[in-house]
Amino acid sequence: MEKKDYNIFELMAVVAAREIEDGAFIYIGTGIPMLATSLAQNMHAPNIVPVFEAGGIAPQMPTLPLSVGCSRTTYRAIRTCDMPEIFEMAQLGVAHYAFLGGAQIDKYGNLNATVKGKYNAPEVRWPGSGGANAFGSLCWRTMIIMNHEKRRFVEKVDFITTPGYIDGPGARERAGLPPGTGPYRVFTDKALLDFEDKTKKMRLIGLLPGVTVEDVVESTGFELLIKDDLINVPPPTEEELRILREKVDPYRIVLSRGDQ
Amino acid sequence: MARASIEILDEGAGQIFSKITPNEFREHMREKVRNAWRDKRMDIKTAIKQFVHDGDYLTMGGVSFVRLSMAAVHEIIRQKKRNLNLAAGTRTYDFNLLLDAGCVKNIDCGYITGMEVFGIPYITRKRVEMMITSGEVGISEYDNASMAWRHKAAAMGIPFLPIRNMMGADAFKHSAAKKIRCPFTGEQLVLVPAIYADVCIIHVHRCDIYGNSQIEGALNEDLGKSKSAKKLIITTEKIIDTEEIRLSPDRTLIPCFYVDAVVKIPYGAHPNNMPGMYYVDIDHMNEYMAASRDPSGKAFEEYYEKYIFGVDNFDEYLETIGGKKRLEHLEDLEHLRVRE
Repeated sequence: MEKKDYNIFELMAVVAAREIEDGAFIYIGTGIPMLATSLAQNMHAPNIVPVFEAGGIAPQMPTLPLSVGCSRTTYRAIRTCDMPEIFEMAQLGVAHYAFLGGAQIDKYGNLNATVKGKYNAPEVRWPGSGGANAFGSLCWRTMIIMNHEKRRFVEKVDFITTPGYIDGPGARERAGLPPGTGPYRVFTDKALLDFEDKTKKMRLIGLLPGVTVEDVVESTGFELLIKDDLINVPPPTEEELRILREKVDPYRIVLSRGDQ
Repeated sequence: MARASIEILDEGAGQIFSKITPNEFREHMREKVRNAWRDKRMDIKTAIKQFVHDGDYLTMGGVSFVRLSMAAVHEIIRQKKRNLNLAAGTRTYDFNLLLDAGCVKNIDCGYITGMEVFGIPYITRKRVEMMITSGEVGISEYDNASMAWRHKAAAMGIPFLPIRNMMGADAFKHSAAKKIRCPFTGEQLVLVPAIYADVCIIHVHRCDIYGNSQIEGALNEDLGKSKSAKKLIITTEKIIDTEEIRLSPDRTLIPCFYVDAVVKIPYGAHPNNMPGMYYVDIDHMNEYMAASRDPSGKAFEEYYEKYIFGVDNFDEYLETIGGKKRLEHLEDLEHLRVRE
């Protein structure tokens, strides 16, 4: 493969940013979601409302924050509040998007951030939900960012930390979650995916530059639906990379982690 | 006509680690608030000795690595408090230290051990995995929202709050939450039990000698926590005159009648971020993370010896991390005077 003039974090941030429409209210976590949101804000979506879990509402971040409560998340914000207020906005229906990560995901978009193996005898104990469960349950649309690996894209997650479509169409509503919510897009280092409307199963809709359908299928631990007219996701433009590097993360606090 | 009772549709098998006692708490508060205007200044050794006891349910202010009351955490460890029950909505460095020191018996989990962008300390993760497998630690599973609402419920003086998440998640099965049908809308709701804590510790930017406290930046769960613990220790960067409080009453986030102790600890959140004052000490966090990766545990022991057991108080600790020069650099970072 030819050497690219951008790293994987830059690429994923660009792909995710393009999906954010102007005017959206978005909960963002640390890392790539922050890059993507800030890039979108500097490009086509100046009127979005970025919100951080610990209480920062619509800050003008001078540099990228290291955590969801760090002082960069309240810098020149329009309001600071407490966590109940943050999550109540999601419950109220104010929040269009949540950006989540996870350690495991399955075909229905259920996310595991709690435990690998048996609950009472864990192979690996991860930190747990954090804000993810509430955001993924209550925001209208959930966007997920993960590395595309077979051990992460599994048939069934070991533990549902944040429910996706649980076990199929209608399951969220039957469980009692607010109607009309659920996973919307999955961004990986290989592909762009959504959830097919009838079956609520994960579906490949786009390939990142230089990636083949076979690459994606091989990196997925379950049978993936594949859309007929696949998008070939265009590589980052010069303008996107310039804004990302000069305005969004000039010190490469997050970007450098994609250098490998 | 017989009245329909509210039907419990489902319930988790998790334990409740704090007693739900709204009436007892009312009696407690009735007496406690009489001390509103007492000068509550004391040192951290006295505050921890007097207000934190083995077996207590402890809840701490701040979130992630922001505004954590580190002087209090160090002192709890040095005084060898044991069998603490911990509220753990996004705990990071403070919780990890208590866990490594063997202070923790039960956890209401929202987020534990992780250090966000820094990763998960290896030794601490292994310790948690072992403690879960052996049954040495009890865990009930929640998330940051339900934990925040559990504190809020207690702060409202009620035994639970109805919420709309946790449904369809495995955490529900390992929680003490219950699912009901809403008597008004007929929809399903989850009820989460209130947390009436024994003791709460919050680090603030400034307060007066009575504990009227001002906080800058994100507030996390601190408003709910400050009102719903029997004892509240405020550690503060600065003590200000009550006249200053009265000049801008809208900035008082914790009024004095909830407060039991006021302890002045400048730079008391180090190595964490104190919004508007000093930034995260990234070098120190990297040192801590690196020590945690030595599988023998030796490097981690040395870390704890150097920074906690080897010092007597927080001023001595601040010298070990580089003293005034280091702290001024963190202030410059916070105020964007130098680049990261």
